[in-house]
Parts: sequence; structure tokens; C-alpha cells
Amino acid sequence: MYVVMVYDLEADRTQKALKIGRRYLTHVQNSVLEGEISEGDLSKLKNEIDDLLKPGESAIIYELSSDTLLNRTVYGDDPTEDQRFL
Amino acid sequence: MDRNYHVFSDGRLERSDDTLRLVPDDDGDKQYIPIENAEAFFLHGQIDFNTRLMSFLNDRTVALHVFGWEDYYAGSVMPKRGQTSGKTVVNQVRAYEDSQHRRQLAAAIVKGSIHNMRTNVVYYNGRDHDLDSVIEDLEAAAARVDESLPIDELMGIEATAKKAYYRSFNQILPSEFQLTQREYNPPPNEINSLISFGNSLVYANCVSAIRATALDPTISYLHEPGERRYSLSLDIADLFKPVLADRVLFRLVNRNQISESDFETELGSCLLNEAGRKTYTKAFEEMLERTVEHPTLNRKVSYQYLMRLEAYKLKKHLLTGEAYDSFQRWW
Repeated sequence: MYVVMVYDLEADRTQKALKIGRRYLTHVQNSVLEGEISEGDLSKLKNEIDDLLKPGESAIIYELSSDTLLNRTVYGDDPTEDQRFL
Repeated sequence: MDRNYHVFSDGRLERSDDTLRLVPDDDGDKQYIPIENAEAFFLHGQIDFNTRLMSFLNDRTVALHVFGWEDYYAGSVMPKRGQTSGKTVVNQVRAYEDSQHRRQLAAAIVKGSIHNMRTNVVYYNGRDHDLDSVIEDLEAAAARVDESLPIDELMGIEATAKKAYYRSFNQILPSEFQLTQREYNPPPNEINSLISFGNSLVYANCVSAIRATALDPTISYLHEPGERRYSLSLDIADLFKPVLADRVLFRLVNRNQISESDFETELGSCLLNEAGRKTYTKAFEEMLERTVEHPTLNRKVSYQYLMRLEAYKLKKHLLTGEAYDSFQRWW
């Protein structure tokens, strides 16, 4: 499935969420990651993020059954383009 | 779901933040690669890495396949075996030693390989090409396959079939891409280099698939177990080359997505350049991700997973004696 994850943490802790997210998804903008993910990996990601958060912080994960359902328009450079060909 | 990543640029691959990072030599942006969905890395450029990365990849059971000078498959750095089973290896060797059993397996592989070549030809035969004679030749070859034949004769039948099959390339492909003769080491022209490059990708993917099982990749049935190469991967790759590599080749060339400008010609050799390799691998990866409805598993499986299934099937056959039917394209 395809997910978009956004997060809002205390300024000096944002790296922690990024660090976890990067292992599963592509970092597209500050505090935003997206990408294809399996259900198993998604639940691992959810657990890791949930454990990380302190009161007052939040993360939101939007799930889509596939990326074809998502109307996604990118202006400028697309950071997810050709992710597998480096 | 696990993906292959291809690295064409030169640079350094390193562990960073518990995932993988590529630092390009040309001061470009560092790129992070999500480790959790990686199956294998295919290194086509000049890449540095250290032991820290190796143990990290080992933990995550991610393989590195290295392509060296002139696109040759140079070798793989595989994670340590997760699957080991002495019983499997013993049975694998027994099947090899028992000449009747070996012939039976070799015949199944040749049969599958010819069947899959034939499906390609039949597909293009229906598209304004007259390939009836090739189909006849392939059918004649398939009819000769028999479990009682010695291995070298089975190899001979496969070679005859391949020859007929390659004849069809000249009709399927435009005139700039004529295959007068299949040659490699190094490939002398565009079409040969495309075939070689595609085959090496299929081979490397089969290495990954076999590694996921407890099978020993050096003990094979159709090909003679050779020194310094994974001959079981050659056996299995034969089944998948027509389905994966050749279909990608036909599509790219016929749609003009690959043209003569995607090659570098040097004295006696002709190889894909970086742009060409990128185009090809991209199409190839898309192919691996395609899915088909599996008749007995009752679910959709990707083309990539079919290679894994083939290894599982062989292992099951060796352990339980369940009949081994080689992979034959059913759709």
C-alpha cells in the first residue's frame, strides 16, 4: 500500500522521526515522507513512531490501498522520482 | 514487495541513521534508501563501501550484486545463510548422482525453457509476423525432449531450440537490430549486448531466489556443476530468460525506447551506456513487479516471486518426492 506520513515534534527532536521514517519511506519534504510499504512494515513503523512521541507531539499516517488512487501533483522537482535507480 | 535498487552513479554506499545512504562522488545530493523494503542492490557504477555496511546488510539480509567491466556479472556479496538444511543438500547431491533422476530434472528444465521461448514466438506470430517455421522448429525440439536422453543431448536440444528462437528475433525486431549470430565475451553488436545484459539480470535475480532457500546454488542438473559459478542459477535462469529479459528487449526496441545512441561501440565490443542501462533496468524492474494470478496459490504473485517459487518447488521435490514441473508460462 501507499502511505504519506507527516509529523510534528519538538524542534530538536524532529530528526528522530525522520530517522525512523527513512528506513521505510522516502523523505519528500520537511516532516513529510511517503512511499510504497507492506502491511507488515507499516505496523512496525506505526509502533516505532508511537513509542517515540512525547505528549504534545503528533504524527499522522495516511494510507491508500495503492498509489494509483492518489491524485498527486508535484510542482518543481519530484523527490520520489526514480528512487530505485540511483 | 521487496525491491531491487540499481546504483549507476559512482560514489560511496554507507550505513547512516540505521538505513542506507548513497553519497555520490560528484557532490550531488546524498540519497537515503529505505532499507526495510530492499531485496538486493545491483551495483553498476564504481562504489566504495566498508565492513560496517556489510554487517548491516547481513543483518537485514540484503544482497549486493556487482557488475564489473563491460557489464559482466562480477559476483555477489550475499548475507550469511538464513536457511541451512543439510538434508536438502544431501538430497540435492543424491539427485545429481542418480543419473536417471538428474535426467528427469534436466528434461523438465529444457521443456520449460522451450515452452517459454515458444510463448514469445506465438505472441509475435499473432502480430503480423510470420513465425510459423520457428514455432514448428520449437515444437519439434520440444517433442524430442525425453527423460531417457543423456544430459549433453538435452543440452543439444536446448541449443537447437535457442537457435531457432533467435532466428525469430530478426523478424520481431527492426532492421537496425539484426541478430546474425549470438555472441558474447564481449558482445559485438547492440542486440547481443542487450541479450547479455538482460540475461545477467535474470541470473542475479535467480541467485537471490535460490539464496532464500536452503538449496546449494552450485549443484545443478542441466548445466554441469562448474567451478566458481552458481550453476543452479543458470538452470533456473534458463526458464525465465524468455519471460523476463527477452520480452523487455522486444518491447524497448520496438517502441524505440532504446536506440543506437544508447550504446558505446569500441573495437570488437558494443555495450549499453549508462542511459541505455538505466532504461533497460527500469523496464526490467517494472516487469519483475508485474503480477499474475497463480493457479494453485489462489493469489496474485509477482514475476520476481515466481523465481522464488521455482526454487521452493525444486526443494520440495527433492525433499518429499512431489513431482517437479518446471515453470511454464500459463498466461
